[in-house]
Formats: sequence, C-alpha cells, structure tokens
Amino acid sequence: MLLFLNVLFPVIMGAILPLFRMKSRTLRSVYVMLITCMTSALAFYNLFSSSSDSGFVFLHLTEKAVCVLKLDDMGRLFTGLIAFLWPMAVLYSLEYMEHEGRENSFFAWYTMTYGITLGISMSGDLITLYVFYELLTLTTLPLVMHRLVNGRAAAGLKYLYYSLLGAALAFAGIMLVFFYGDSTSFTYGGVLTGLADEQKPLLRFGYLLAFLGMGVKSAVFPLHDWLPSVSVAPTPVTALLHAVAVVKAGAIAVIRVTFYAFGPALIAGTWAQAVPFCLSAFTVVFGCAMAVKEKHFKRRLAYSTVSNLSYIVMGALLLTPEGLDGALNHLIYHALMKICLFCACGAIMTRTGREYVSELHGLGHAMPVTFVTLTVAAVSLVGIPPFIGFISKWKLAQAGVLAGDFYSIIAPAALILSAILTAVYLFIPVCYAWFPAKDIPESKPEGSLDPTWRMKLPLIIWCAAILILSVYSAPLQSFISEIARGAM
Amino acid sequence: MTILMMVLTILLPAAGALALKLIPGLDGDRKRLYLMTGCVLLADCVLAAITALCGDAEWTFLRLADSLPLMLKSDMLSRFFCVFFTVMWTVPVLYSYRYMEHEGHDRRYNMFYLLTLAALNALAFSGTAVTMYLNFEMMTLLSVALVLHEMTKDAIAAGLKYLIYSIAGATMGLLGIFYLATNTNGAVFVPGGSLDASAMTVSPTVMMIILLITIVGFGTKAGMFPMHAWLPTAHPIAPAPASAVLSGVITKAGVLCILRIIFYVVGAGFIRGTWLQQTLLTLSLLTVFMGSMMAFRTDLFKKRLAYSTVSQVSYVLMGIFMLQPTALTGSLLHIIFHSTIKTTLFLAAGAIIHQTGKTKVSELEGIGKQMPVTIWCFTLASLGLIGIPPTGGFISKWNLAQGALASGTGIFSWLGPVVLLISALLTAGYLLPVTIHGFFPGKDFDYEGLQTCECHRFMLISMILCVAFVILGGMFPGAFTAFFGRIASSLM
Amino acid sequence: MALLRNVPFASILACMVISVISMVFRGRIAKVLSYLLTTVLLAASLALTWYFVQGNDAFVFTMGHFGDPWGNELRAGLLESIMAAAMSLIVLAALAGGSYMIRSEIPDGKKNLFYIMADLMLASVMALIYTNDLFTSYVFIEIATISAGGLTMSRQSGHALASTARYMIMNLVGSGLCLMGITILYGTTGHLLMGSLHSAVQSLFENGSYHLPLMASLILLTVGLSIKSGLFPFHEWLPDTYSYGVTAGSALLSSVISKGYIFLLIKLYTRVFGLEVVRASHICILLFAFGTMGLIVGSLRATQAADIRRMVSYSSIAQIGYIYIALGLGTQEGVIAAVFHMLIHAFGKSMLFLSSGALIQASGGASDFISLRGSARRDIPAGIAFTVGAMSLTGVPLLGGFVSKIYIAQAAIPRGGLYVVIVLLALAASTFLNTLYFLRTVITIYRSDANAEATRHAGPVNSLFLCAMVILNFGLGIASRPLYNALLSGLNMFI
Repeated sequence: MLLFLNVLFPVIMGAILPLFRMKSRTLRSVYVMLITCMTSALAFYNLFSSSSDSGFVFLHLTEKAVCVLKLDDMGRLFTGLIAFLWPMAVLYSLEYMEHEGRENSFFAWYTMTYGITLGISMSGDLITLYVFYELLTLTTLPLVMHRLVNGRAAAGLKYLYYSLLGAALAFAGIMLVFFYGDSTSFTYGGVLTGLADEQKPLLRFGYLLAFLGMGVKSAVFPLHDWLPSVSVAPTPVTALLHAVAVVKAGAIAVIRVTFYAFGPALIAGTWAQAVPFCLSAFTVVFGCAMAVKEKHFKRRLAYSTVSNLSYIVMGALLLTPEGLDGALNHLIYHALMKICLFCACGAIMTRTGREYVSELHGLGHAMPVTFVTLTVAAVSLVGIPPFIGFISKWKLAQAGVLAGDFYSIIAPAALILSAILTAVYLFIPVCYAWFPAKDIPESKPEGSLDPTWRMKLPLIIWCAAILILSVYSAPLQSFISEIARGAM
Repeated sequence: MTILMMVLTILLPAAGALALKLIPGLDGDRKRLYLMTGCVLLADCVLAAITALCGDAEWTFLRLADSLPLMLKSDMLSRFFCVFFTVMWTVPVLYSYRYMEHEGHDRRYNMFYLLTLAALNALAFSGTAVTMYLNFEMMTLLSVALVLHEMTKDAIAAGLKYLIYSIAGATMGLLGIFYLATNTNGAVFVPGGSLDASAMTVSPTVMMIILLITIVGFGTKAGMFPMHAWLPTAHPIAPAPASAVLSGVITKAGVLCILRIIFYVVGAGFIRGTWLQQTLLTLSLLTVFMGSMMAFRTDLFKKRLAYSTVSQVSYVLMGIFMLQPTALTGSLLHIIFHSTIKTTLFLAAGAIIHQTGKTKVSELEGIGKQMPVTIWCFTLASLGLIGIPPTGGFISKWNLAQGALASGTGIFSWLGPVVLLISALLTAGYLLPVTIHGFFPGKDFDYEGLQTCECHRFMLISMILCVAFVILGGMFPGAFTAFFGRIASSLM
Repeated sequence: MALLRNVPFASILACMVISVISMVFRGRIAKVLSYLLTTVLLAASLALTWYFVQGNDAFVFTMGHFGDPWGNELRAGLLESIMAAAMSLIVLAALAGGSYMIRSEIPDGKKNLFYIMADLMLASVMALIYTNDLFTSYVFIEIATISAGGLTMSRQSGHALASTARYMIMNLVGSGLCLMGITILYGTTGHLLMGSLHSAVQSLFENGSYHLPLMASLILLTVGLSIKSGLFPFHEWLPDTYSYGVTAGSALLSSVISKGYIFLLIKLYTRVFGLEVVRASHICILLFAFGTMGLIVGSLRATQAADIRRMVSYSSIAQIGYIYIALGLGTQEGVIAAVFHMLIHAFGKSMLFLSSGALIQASGGASDFISLRGSARRDIPAGIAFTVGAMSLTGVPLLGGFVSKIYIAQAAIPRGGLYVVIVLLALAASTFLNTLYFLRTVITIYRSDANAEATRHAGPVNSLFLCAMVILNFGLGIASRPLYNALLSGLNMFI
C-alpha cells in the first residue's frame, strides 16, 4: 500500500501544481522541493521496510494481467538510486529553470515523472513495468518539448516515435512470455520453465522483440538516435531523465526481461543472445566514436550516454551472474558520473553561454567548483583506477573474459576501445579548460563564474559520492552481487 | 617498518606538493621554492635508501572489489626502481633553479614535478598489475602538466598528443590485465610468473595476441614502434629539465611495466621461443634502427635527442625480450646509464638554448668555445651513449650483445648485435658533430666575435654529476652487475 | 420482471414511432424527442442488462404469431443488451454533444430530417442486435443503409451529395450480396429462424451435402457485410462519407452502424453457422488477411491525410481491420476480443469525431492541420478528449485500447504458428503507425499559435459530454474486467 502511495503521491501533487497558478518563485520552489523530499523519504522507508516484499495489486487489467508493485532487491537498488538523485536534481533545476521560464508546467511534469519512475523501479511484473514504461514516455515528452525552442518540437516527435515503436515491439514480446510463462511476477531465472522445444524459436523471437523494444529506451543501435536529439532539452531534463531515469529504466527493463522473465536458460548460446549482444557491443564503440566527432559538448555527453548504456546491456547479455554484477555496478556508477557531467555542462551553458568544446578554454579557473567536479567525473568515466568507473569496467571485463566463446574476446575489446575513445572526448575538453593556450585571446574569462549554491551543492554532493564510493563501496558491491546471484 | 618506509617514500613528495600549494608567498620567492623542493627530494632519496636496505614486504591498502586488491610490495626490482626514480629526479633540481628563470610558473611546475615522483614511486612499489595500472595512469595524468608547461598552442597540442597516446597505450595494457587477472588469480606479482598455460580460459594463440597488444601498449611510454610518435613531439617542447626526466625516467616506467608483465605475471617460459618473442624482438630492433636514423636526419637539437631516446630505450626492450639472464642484466644496466647520459645531453641542450637561444644543430658552430664545460660534459656523455669503453654505455651494450648471442633466438642472436653496432655508428653520426663543430668550427668561423657564455655553475653541477656517474660506473660496474644479475637469475 | 422481456421489441418500435412523429414537427421538437428516446432506451437497456446479470437466461420474443419456418423472432441475452446500451449511449452523446454542429452545418429546413434519420438508424441497429431471423435482418439492413445515407446527405454540400452517392452504391451492392446469401441459405435449408437454421446447417455440414451452396451463402453474407462495415478492400467509400458529412453524423456512422453490421456477422457466424463450420470454410483466413491489410493500409493513408477528419476516418478503417483480425482467428476468445474492441472503438471514435468537430469550430471552421495548431488550448475539454481518444486507439496503458490489445494478443497466441507472429507484428505496427498520425496530431493541436484567436466555442453541452466520455474511456481502461466477464457469459448465452 505504501508503495502505491509512493508512486501516486508525486503524480497527483505534480498534476495539481498548475492549478495553483503560483506566481511566486519561492513558493513554487518550496512546494516542489517539499513534495520531492517527502517522496524520497517515503521511498527510503519502503526500501528498508520488509513489508515491501509482498506485492500490492493496484490495477486489474484483465483476469490474468494485473499491475502489482513489489520491491525485490533489484527494485531496491534502483529505487535507492532514484530517490537519492532526484531531490538534488530538483534543487539544481530550480536555479537552472529561472533562465528558461514556464516553470509551473515544467515542475508539474517533472514531479509526475518522479512518481512514474518510482513505479518502474517498484514494478513487480512485466505488465506493470510496461504500463509505467509507456507512461514515462508520455510524462517526459512535455519536458523535452518545453517551450518549443531550439528544435525541441522535432526532437520531441523523434523521441515519441522511437519510444512508441519500442513499446510496440516490447508489447509483442511481453504478450508471448505472459502467455507461456508459469507466472507473471518477476522471478530470477525466468518464468518459462516447462517449455516444449518447438515453442522455443517463437519465444526467442519474442525475446528479440522485447529486447529491441526495451532497448530503445536504453539506446541500443540502431534505435539510439533519439538520445542525441533530445539533448536540446533543458539540462535538468537531459541530466536526470535522459542520463539517469529514462535510460536506466530502459536498462532495468532489459535486465528484467532477460533475467526475470524470459530467463537465461532459453536464450543462452543461441542467436537470441548473440544478436542483441553484438548490437550492444557495437553501440559501445559506436557511441564513443560519435562522441569524439561531436563538437557540441552536451551532444557529446549524450553520445557518451549511448555508449555507456550499452556497457550495461552488454554485461547483462553475457547471461552470467558476473555479467549481471558488472552491469548493475555500472548502472549505479554511471548514473552518478553522468548526472555530474551533464549538470556541470548545464552550469557552463547558463553562466557563460558557451556550448561547444572549442569554447571551453581556460574556464577551469573561472569556474573552479564546476570544473573540479567535471574533472573528477570525467576521470572516473574514462576508467582510471581507483575511481568507480574503473571498478565497474573491471567487473564487466572480468565477466566478459569468463564468459567463454567469442564473447570473451568481443566484450573486453569493446571496453578497451571505448576507454581510449572516452579519454579522447573527455580529457581534451578538460585539458583545454585547465590549461588555456597563451596565444588564444578569448581564453581568459574574467571573474568567478561558478553558479550559486543551488547548482553548486548538488554537483559537490555527487562528486563527493563518486569519491566516497571509489574508496568504500564494499557494502554496495556485496549487495549487488547478491542480486546477481539470484538470492532475493 | 618496511611498509612504513615504503608509504613514506611515496607520500613525501605528494605532501611536499601540497605544501607548495598551501604555503603563501612562494610565487615570488623562487629561492625558497626550489630550496623546499630540493629538500623534499633529498629527504626522499634518504627514505628510498632506507627502504632499499630493509627487506621484502607487502601491504594491501585498499580493496576496490572482492577480486580487486590494491597492493604495495617491496622486492628487489621495486627497490631498485624506487631508488633510481628518486635519485634521477633529484639531480636536475639545481639545474632547473637557474633554467626555469625564463619559463615562469615555477610553483605549478614544481608541484607537478613532485606529484609525478610520488606516482612513480607508487608505481615502483606496486604489487599487483591493477595497482601498477592505477599508478601508471596517475603518473601520465600528472606529467602532462610538465609537457605543456609553456602553454603555447603547440605545447598544449603536444601535451594532448602525449596524453592520448599514453592513455591509449595504458588501456591496451589494461586489456592484457583483464585476461591475466582471471588466469593467474589476480595478477599478483610473483617472480617467474604464475600463468598456468594448461588452464587458461582462452587459447594460447589468443593469449599471445593479447600479450602482444599489452606489451605494445605499455611500450608506448617507452617509445616502442608503433606507438612512438608522441615522443619526438612531446619531449622537445617541454622545458629542458622536464625533457630530461621524461626521456630519462618516465620512459623507464614503461619498461618497468613490461618487466613486471613478462617476468612477474606471465613468466618467461610461456613466451620463449614463440612467434610472440620474435615479433617483439622485431619491433624493438626496428625501433632501435629507426630511432637512430631519424635522429641522424633531424636538425632540431632537442628533437634529435628525443629520437635518440626512442632508439636507446628499445635497446633496453630488446634485452628484455631476449629472455636471457645476461641480456636482462644488460637492459637493467642500460636503464641507469642511458638515464644519466640522456639527462646530461638534455640539460646541455637546454643550457645552450638558455644561453644562446639556438635550437638547431646546424647553428652550433663554435659552441664549444663559448660553453666549454657544457660541451665537454656533452662529449663525454655522447661517448657513453655510443658505447666507447670505459664508459658505462659500453658495459651495458656488452652485456646486451653477450646475452643476445646466448639467447638461442635463432636469427636474432646475431641480428641483435648487428643492429646494435649499426645504431652505435649512427649514434656517433648524430652526436659527435655537435662536439666536432662545437670545438672545431672551421675556417669560416668568426673567431673574433666569440664570447664565452658559460652557464651558471648550478646548471653545470647537475651535468657534471651525471657524467661522473657514467664514467665511474663504467670503470667499476661490479656492484651493479652483480645486483642486476641476482634479479635476472631470480626471474629465469 | 416479465416487463423487461418487452424491451427488445419496444426499443425497435419506439424508434420507428418517434421517427414518424418527428416528420410532422420542426427541428427543435424533433431534437428533444430524439434525446428523450435515446435516454429512455439507454435506461431500458441497462435495466435489461441488470436482469441478465442477475442470472436469468436469454429469451426469445416472437413477433406476430407466425410459427416456424417463417415468422419473426427477437432474441435477447446479456451480450445484446450490453450492445444496445452502448449504442444508445453513443447516439445520445453524438446528438447532444454534436448539437452545435448540427445547428451550424445543416440548412434550416432539413434539421428535423437529421433527427428522423438518426432515430431510424437507431431502430435498425437495435433490430440488428436483437433479431433472431434472417428476414428481419435483411429488412433492417436496408433501413440502416437508407438512414445512414440520409444522415450523410443532410449537409447538402456538393461533396456530401457525391459521397452519399458513392456510399449508396457500395452499400446497396453489399445489401444485394447479403440478400443473395440469405436466399441461398433459405433455399438450401428451408428455414429463416436462426435457431432452426442452426440445426439444419449442422446436419447439412455433417452430411457433406449441399456443401457448395452452404459455403457460397457464407461467403456472400460475409462479403456483403464486410463491404458495409468498411473492410479492406471494400473501404474506399468510407473516408469520403465520414469526412464530408456532419461531424455528428460521422460519429454515428463510424461508431454505431458499422458495429451493427459486424454484430450481425458475429451472430451469423456463431448462431447460424457455428464456429466449426466457419473455421472449416477457411473464410477466417480471408478475414484475417484482409483485416491485417486494412490495418496497414488504413494507418498508412492516415499518416498522409492533410485534414483531421480524413485522418480519423482512415483510422476507422484501420480499427475495423483490428476487429476483423480478431474475428478471423475463428475462436471464442477471438470473438470476445472482437466485441470488446468494437465497444472500445465505438466509444473512442465517437469521442474523436466529436472533439475534432469542436476543435475545428475553435479554429474558425478550418480542418487542416496548420489551422488546428493550438486549438486544444482554445477549447480545453475538446483537446483533452481528443488526446484521450487518440491514446486509447493507439493503445496507451490505462485506456481501453490497451486492454483490447492484450485480449487480441492473448486470443491469437493459442492459434499458434504464423498467426501469432502476424498478429503480434500487426499490433506493433499499428501502435507505431497510430503514433505517427494520432499522437503527432495531439502535439500539433497543443502547439501554441500566437496569432490565432478563439472563435466560436462548441458549447458547454459538448464539453460536458466529452468529459463524460473521457471518464468512460479511462474506466474501460482501468476497470474493464466486469465488462469482459459479462461479454464472456453473454457469448455463452448467445449461441
């Protein structure tokens, strides 16, 4: 019951926000922060309470298809991540959106999205996940199309088409596993026990459809193109939603479909594993290559997200507990690193108006806090030890080596290539920022351009989280490896 | 006790860097700045010596994940490298006090100088491959500041080239570490290696391909073909004392990594006699020859010396790849002698630039008359590099050749020494003209307008110290040879 | 509650009587009478539904004391009463919610004609729902055709007249084919009453005699009714008819009449021929194939439409395709899924037509997409209604269309083989194509257009009905289980 309240509360409170017609910025800020913090608090309570283990059915669609909320360990992991990141992201956007305007409708949809995302993390079965998945597209669409400037309308349409195409494909796969499965709830190892051999090809085809469908939101090639386009949205949207909530929901969905619905036993060793795996491995390198070519900083980060998401998907598709372990590690760590990078980028854009990589010369000294956090996140993302980016890369590579067959060659090779390219596209801007060339005149901006505390504090907290986890992540890691091994 | 010493050796330079940042007023007071740096470094030399005298030790200081311990370890190789790094780092400080007058930004330079040493010492004391990788990357990131110190567009471009090549190389090395860690229980360093060839998760051919990529990757820092292109760009553009340590010391960090991978993780037995060994020998010999040729043809003085580094470090690599005790001894000897020689050469080149502004070899007519001591040091060092007895260079080359002949690697047994010989001739060809034209500028020279402009004695002291080591080491190499021989035999 | 047993007959009779009376009066009284009629019918049908839910059996109502094998019969069960209630509700909503459109688009002298035709149409649909003999079916098929033609024509514009002509031609061909089918069936079996027909057909089928005439009649009836309900490839008349008529009329045509024909077809399949005969004839495959084609073609043409009404019309073709796909599965689950989707589509499509009419009104009468920009902000309930209708037909969760998709998919999977793959892919394609045109339109109507000003609003009655229908659509999406269960037991009663 509390789970349902957790989901419903932000949705309703967000939906009624425009009705208040608030003119005062402070009042609205307080309202939004309050709702967000309350929701997060409730989420954390649910995380630790054991009553979340039992499911709460809140909707009966048909006799068999029900929508149920339930927290298993993986759900707890994702819920914790979202609940931790959201309040800080709201704080950041309170200052950021002052530059954009139309905040009433923006925060209404933003808060509603929080509820929907929690719904995804708390889903107890595949139908529920699908329902929230589609709703997520609908609530994030107005955020992308906020104020319809900068080509946001076209980006929004593209996002809509891709997402619903994905949903359409996923629906087909879900119907199949729904019909043939023993139960609909998420069960580690899949629900397709007792499947006759002649039914297996059909189910594998269904898995491929479900993978592609859910894979749209996790930006697997060739269905990734919406993500760079959506980078024209306001930064709080890109940072939290398209680097963390939406895309990680996609990754979670892929993992749920693979491990908890169709099950590795059906897919392992067949084309149904090889094809998605190769697609994700390709995306890993492709995303990085496109990021190197891209001159607009935010778009560059979007391509980086495309690549990193496929780390998670690739790890999951190794279909081993170690692979899942690495994937979940990267899910958490990348979310932290990427939200830090995007928010730092947003700070640069609002304070200096500079959007392109070539314009970043010397900004490091003018915006020290922003760039220190950006540097830490970048170093971590490239995979320099002892930072968290290295830990997840290491686990993924180890899982790859152990997987056998051609997987043990492709996975580490993709990771290595990607690491080199990541260094190229991240370290070069960072170098420009800290070491401006003497002979370029515009490289010395005057004064301190760091943003105010509302944007600085989230950046500092996330950076601190990266640093703390880099040296002390043992509890988190053992929790994740429990999930990966299937112990509930 | 040993562990404490190890940790202090690593942390002292880092603490020194922090102090340089925090203590106010150092920007204007160069004397105090360099005094502090010098003291920290001397103290570190003492610490390194003490650690060297203590025995073996091991300490896991952090666990990133269950299968991912970060470990410090003191064994013979690490103690040698630690002392080597620290001493070679201290020598140029006196020189840079005078040299950096015209460069500026001394505080930033010294901070990164000290931090890089901390990373290098940590690298020396690494106990597992992952720890080594960590410190290797840290060292790269910190030394970039040294390369792009001048902050012109060219310097920054060179710094970025260095950065990207180094990271690419280190990441290629990481690829190997991924596989080795699974197959050797965590890639902990064990003398003689711990790879069980019969129980690998991939086929031997695949493993050898991976090892090739790994070694070429770590060889980037050492300037081995095909990953050498950054070196001739980055080394010349750094300030002279930085070039000296880049060529003399940091390249050896790459060598250290290769040593660790081959002898302490994989084991020589896996590689000996295979196509992998032959490929590696080919690459290193190719680099030796190519580096010398390019040096011979370059007119820019510092660039010539950079190409020389490319060539010389591959001597070291060749000796390693022979997988033979005498050859390995020769390599280790060449590490110390090349380092001191190259330091001298770069410091001399820097002195010439500092005093006369001349950057090209063709401009150096009569330089010997203007800066006699400098050029004398240069000459003696050159002789060392060519390999004329009784300099240290001769000892190391002798060991290398002997080891090659005894290595049983077929064609390379004699090809190795032949290439070494050709390279020695080329070395003479690219180094001696400086001496010859410097002291005997020819009939057309304007003898009347000559002025001596010898550099400050501080700068000379560093150079003389190095040259003295080269000569004395060449005459009395016994202790070194014995020590390195012990290391070599423990590994094979 | 024997009184309730009169409801079927009374429904038909009342509609016919009211329509005759309305001829005498002027427009406004005709309107009031129609409202009254539909309200009363709605209440009566709901009462009848409740009667069946209580556990009573289906009953037969004989009209006119002619016995077997001629005679006229009505039969009522749970399924029929639910359909009747739904149809009455939609007619009420269309008439009341679309009253401003009727007021503005139809010339003064002809206004009462519209209501007369609507009443007649309702009569024929009620008859098609309740009928239990072939003769009555045919009579009211004809009445439905004519009344629908009248509805289309009432606008009196050139386009309307031309499209009515096309409509009449195609539909009369359809009726003719139905008549031929009925004739052959009567000739072969000698019965007109469906109950007796069923046993006769069964024995013929088991004997194997008269196999060809049996199949022929099945095919003729199917083709005839398919033409009239707009199945591919007989759909070309549909877009013109729906776009050029009065918008309220289009709502009636798309949501009520076509459903009446399909319901009759279902009745023929289940009650007269029996599903085994149908499956044996392989006509299912044809229906399935044509349904899929209609789905694709309709959706593709909808993406190309430049005018909102045309787009909604092509969407109808696609949705009819859905229904025929479900029917073409030839199983009981398929039939229930088809009926369920009929209801969802009826409620969704009528709402779409009504709201698009309101949006057109708010854009000064222009119906192309450029002019419609921002219209949702000018008429807020219409915008919301259009969005909800669009999302429902696209299959967004929490709305009826999504549940319908689940039922169709679950009906298809047991059929196995290629059916499953085609159905699932068709559902996926349909969702995607629907997004392309429907949801794109939703975005278009919400885009702000700075220079457009609010023009005549469609009125509070329209908004009220639209809001009610939005709530209904959500209800169907969230709490549809009772309805489904009712349909299930209804179908069992049906056969």
